Amino acid sequence: MEGKQTGVYLCSGCGIGEALDMDALAEVASKEFKLPVKQSECLCGDAGVKTISDDLENGEVNQVVVGACSPRVMADRFRFGSTQVVRANLREQVVWMQPAGEEDTQMLAADNIRMAATQSGKIAPPTPHEESVESSRVLVVGGGPAGLAAAREASGAGHEVLLVDKADQLGGNARGRTALTPHKPPYRGLQENDIESDVQAVENDNRITVKTGTTVTETSGMPGQYSVTLSGGAQEKVGAIVVATGWRAYDPSNLGHLGYGASPDVVTNVELEGMLSEGGARRRSDGNAPKSVAFIQCAGQRDHNHLPYCSSVCCAVTLKQALQLKKADPETMVYVVYDEMRTPGTAEEFYREAQEQGVIFIKGSVKNVGSDLQVTVDDHLLGEEVPMSGLDMVVLATGMVPNSTDPDQETPEYGAEQLDNDINPESPIKVAGYNNGEPEVPERPGTAPSGGPILNLQYRQGPHLPMLADGFADSHYICFPYETRRTGIYTCGPVRRPMDMAEAREDAAGAALKAVQAIHNASEGAAVHPRSGDLSFPRIGYSACTRCRRCTVECPFGAIDEDDQDYPLVNPTRCRRCGTCMGACPVRTISFDNYSVDMLSSMIKSVEIPDEFDEKPRILVMACENDAYPALDMAGINRAGLSPYVRIVPVRCLGSVSLLCISDALSVGYDGALLLGCKSGDDYQCHFVKGSAMAEERLSKVGETLKSMMLEAERVVQAEASIADSGRLPQVINDFVKEIDDLGPNPFKGF
Amino acid sequence: MTTKMTYYPGCSSEASGAHLDKSLQSIARTLGIELEPIEDWNCCGASVNHIKGGHAPTTAMSARNLAQAKAQGNQDVVTPCAACFLNTHYANEAMREDKQVYEEMNEALGAAGRSYDASLNVRHICEVLINDVGLDKIRESVKKPLKGLKVAGWVGCQTVRPHAATERGGNFDEYDNPRFLDDFIEAAGAEAVDFKARTNCCGGSVAVMSPDKTIHLMRDILQEAQERGVDCIATPCPLCQTNLEMYQGAINDKYGTHFDIPVVFYSQLLAVAFGGDPDGDAALNQNIIKAPKIAQVAK
Amino acid sequence: MTTTSPQATRKYDLGFARWVYENVDGGDRLALCMQCGTCSGSCPVGTQMDYGPRKLFMMIRAGMKDAVLSSNTLWNCVSCYNCVVRCPRQVPVTYILHDLAVVAVREGYKEAVESDNARFSAAFNFSAERYGRTDERIVTGKFYFSEGLSAGFKKGMDNMKIAWNMVKTKRMPLGLPHKIKGKGELKTILDKAREIEERHKGGGKGN
Repeated sequence: MEGKQTGVYLCSGCGIGEALDMDALAEVASKEFKLPVKQSECLCGDAGVKTISDDLENGEVNQVVVGACSPRVMADRFRFGSTQVVRANLREQVVWMQPAGEEDTQMLAADNIRMAATQSGKIAPPTPHEESVESSRVLVVGGGPAGLAAAREASGAGHEVLLVDKADQLGGNARGRTALTPHKPPYRGLQENDIESDVQAVENDNRITVKTGTTVTETSGMPGQYSVTLSGGAQEKVGAIVVATGWRAYDPSNLGHLGYGASPDVVTNVELEGMLSEGGARRRSDGNAPKSVAFIQCAGQRDHNHLPYCSSVCCAVTLKQALQLKKADPETMVYVVYDEMRTPGTAEEFYREAQEQGVIFIKGSVKNVGSDLQVTVDDHLLGEEVPMSGLDMVVLATGMVPNSTDPDQETPEYGAEQLDNDINPESPIKVAGYNNGEPEVPERPGTAPSGGPILNLQYRQGPHLPMLADGFADSHYICFPYETRRTGIYTCGPVRRPMDMAEAREDAAGAALKAVQAIHNASEGAAVHPRSGDLSFPRIGYSACTRCRRCTVECPFGAIDEDDQDYPLVNPTRCRRCGTCMGACPVRTISFDNYSVDMLSSMIKSVEIPDEFDEKPRILVMACENDAYPALDMAGINRAGLSPYVRIVPVRCLGSVSLLCISDALSVGYDGALLLGCKSGDDYQCHFVKGSAMAEERLSKVGETLKSMMLEAERVVQAEASIADSGRLPQVINDFVKEIDDLGPNPFKGF
Repeated sequence: MTTKMTYYPGCSSEASGAHLDKSLQSIARTLGIELEPIEDWNCCGASVNHIKGGHAPTTAMSARNLAQAKAQGNQDVVTPCAACFLNTHYANEAMREDKQVYEEMNEALGAAGRSYDASLNVRHICEVLINDVGLDKIRESVKKPLKGLKVAGWVGCQTVRPHAATERGGNFDEYDNPRFLDDFIEAAGAEAVDFKARTNCCGGSVAVMSPDKTIHLMRDILQEAQERGVDCIATPCPLCQTNLEMYQGAINDKYGTHFDIPVVFYSQLLAVAFGGDPDGDAALNQNIIKAPKIAQVAK
Repeated sequence: MTTTSPQATRKYDLGFARWVYENVDGGDRLALCMQCGTCSGSCPVGTQMDYGPRKLFMMIRAGMKDAVLSSNTLWNCVSCYNCVVRCPRQVPVTYILHDLAVVAVREGYKEAVESDNARFSAAFNFSAERYGRTDERIVTGKFYFSEGLSAGFKKGMDNMKIAWNMVKTKRMPLGLPHKIKGKGELKTILDKAREIEERHKGGGKGN
């Protein structure tokens, strides 16, 4: 068959037929779009599906519009190889939300058919890019517990691994530790440090190449074809990268207020760990074993003048060290001054063990540590300030600083500016549960931490992995925890968030398997999640490109570089297919085979706009397909009522929405437009990290455009929607419709 | 079929809780339980003796009772009094579980030529009624259902706490929302109201010695019963019954209330429902605040 | 084992806490208290205590022996066992309070010795040990007069109505005190038990 032929298949099941005039609906497709239409009482049934597959096999059609339920359901029933199937949602967002048999309901259904038929006309099956995978080897940076585990996991999945560590020996911070916090039943005793067996296993694994005393000096390329330069100059090809550079201790010289430096017997937990590995705790002043020791929790942590976050392991580490002191001498008095003992999961058992061994826990805040080791505690449980005397050692439980930069390398000029832009200065710790109400949050520096980049990426967007305000690698915490914002590069262990060894090992398994998957998908030209398997990728019409660089700057994943003439250069396997570049492009010259500004605008314009005297406004809702659209489906499942005047267009991400779509909508007579997307900010929910933030930024400038069109700025609004918002969203939309109604009709209507 | 059990009535059975003992003996006969008293039983020490008397002697008081019970056979020891149950059960379990206590108690008993091997089970009579007799048998035994009688089932503390949900306590109910008393009330044909104060404390022995400390606790219990419009409050505990009945006057004086709510034992309700004589079997004439409606509705 | 519990020499001295752990019934579980306050929140009379059980336990850890043993917490406990069944760490709170009460009286703390509970216990113990049964008339009578003659008469008169009601309903017998046959035997057993208690005078473990 030459050219494109779309067939339209309408389903009258699930109450659709009772609520709508199906024949009138069929006529929309057949008369307005001249498309063949078939109807079924149960399209997802075997007979219905066979009708479609027969037509495809007989060559009568090669693209399909299904007018039935939401695209979120029955996807497997309506999947016909690579055939593009467009779903017109008649069930969840029409008949389950609107009264049956009403004129407005019928108009809404007809518009959904128009939009689907238009969409089908604007798309083609995507042709994947043909970038070959040059290496399926995984580079692991860092040889501590996380890095060792990542290397073993990747090797276990059949991949060659290159493991580099800056130190001369593998093992990281875990090397030399005398005992670990327990991770095996009954979770009460000290656990033997098994890092050596991990090191042995890696060294004996012939798929793993180990290079110690080595750092990465430069990284370029993309998943499947990274070129990595190592210190010493060696060049290596790898397919994906796992960063497991771990943590370093917070600098205790900042802890003068807790007595550090005033007495040699005020030590950090890391220093005590060193003593324990060298035979036992000893006072630095006189070399004697301490008989009365106080641990001070959260030293330089959960404190906006120091580390604002909780390092999560220090409570368990203190319990471990306290038990080690008790084991060495049961008569040793051990006190733990804490604000909150954080012992999640099985660590609670460990806490009990310490209590049973007679460790005394004092909830309070430390007011002063004297050079004579007198600790003054504001005891919250007794409600009074108490001096603790007779101590002969004070241990400060300090926290973890992520090795997202290498402090031994110089901070490069290059890239720092971009990284600063990536760091959201607003602290996410602001609401994390302090004792006395919400603490005052001082202005955060919002600048890149000092030190050199770990991978030194040769990317348009700079040499660093994007990071959060506190220096931890940015990742989608809930949905894609190991992802960095550089596709094909995964972080695990304490460089991602504070965690202990057992957690780091599990984390490493996740990151390693993601790295393996990235190589695999790259070899097929397919996206990694969230659009896993998507074969489309951004195509740039260079003839129209103005080299404005918006796409190269806005891509949340740094997928687009600039060539020597400043034209955008897509690295397709870095791309997640969100379309943020497409939304950014002022000349609509970036598009996907099956997704484009033209497609969205045409769909918007295909809707029938009644004239002003009909008093039937039309409101455009552009809904993120990840959260907002399914939440609206859910509202339909719950039979929540929605204004019949809204027309909902699903989009890959609000980042892909071009302002041109909005102005097109207003120019054809829509009365308002509402963009529904995920939460932005440091605690973003956006599946593409920056998409909804980009949309917000673009929209902040739409007011001027609207004014120049003599329209009110209130006609275009963005709202946050999460997957759990099915109860709230109909109200948000209905309120917006009411506001637009109050503004009156769009004066462009009818022009 | 008759089941024989060794019965520890407790000191209140001879005085303030005489009507519990009398009505219980009546329903036990109907339900086929033979209650054989521990011969020459002595006081358990209740919840106060230890302060003056000390711990080991207080435990020894129960040990003597248990030694005598054992001498009478291997039957379970059963008691209707919460404090008697708590102390006797405590002594029994402490001797079972702690070798030192076992040896010391036998040393004390040995001074009088007695011994106890900690082999008996000590049980509360309510647990026996639920686990051994069963609600079905109780329902079947009802001849004169107390139709139309509204009752607040007030369990109090020690009948369920801290043993009702333990294996050695018979696992017969839960702590915060026990059902058994409402089940008894409903088995008797009466209506059990949803009584939120069902496990509220009256103050126990503190109410006896220092009523000012706990009188407000009793007021709250009576208040809810009045708001729910009950004909009477039913309880399994002799001290609860006495406290709540005898302090109503003092409460009215202190708070300006007008409580006049009969407080009866579940066993009195059952005795009437089983067709027994309101006075001769149920001992309703021994309640200070009379509850004539109980006998009136029984048909 | 020491006869009396040790005084702390400084704040958070563990001497007293350890003594309590080892000598008070249920004290061994006290070390597991995580200060959640479920006990104090569950206590029907917690608001009228000097310190709820939660704080009392923290004070034990802090070595505040005098404050603990002279607190009215010990005398307000109504033995409802709410705290015992609710404690997430299975600390037998009521038992501990009972035993601390014994310690406080034995060590002669004024607040303890003069408490209603101590005087009531003495009256109760008199009847229970002498006759083998508690006779409510003897207990209440002795208790009322333990404060002195006039106070006793006043309390007695206040309660005359109650007493008369009890007599009327045959719940307060008028004859001689109830007593058991084996009074001598009981005394032998209790004397021996007292001797045992002297041996490990710390107190509680036997009960």
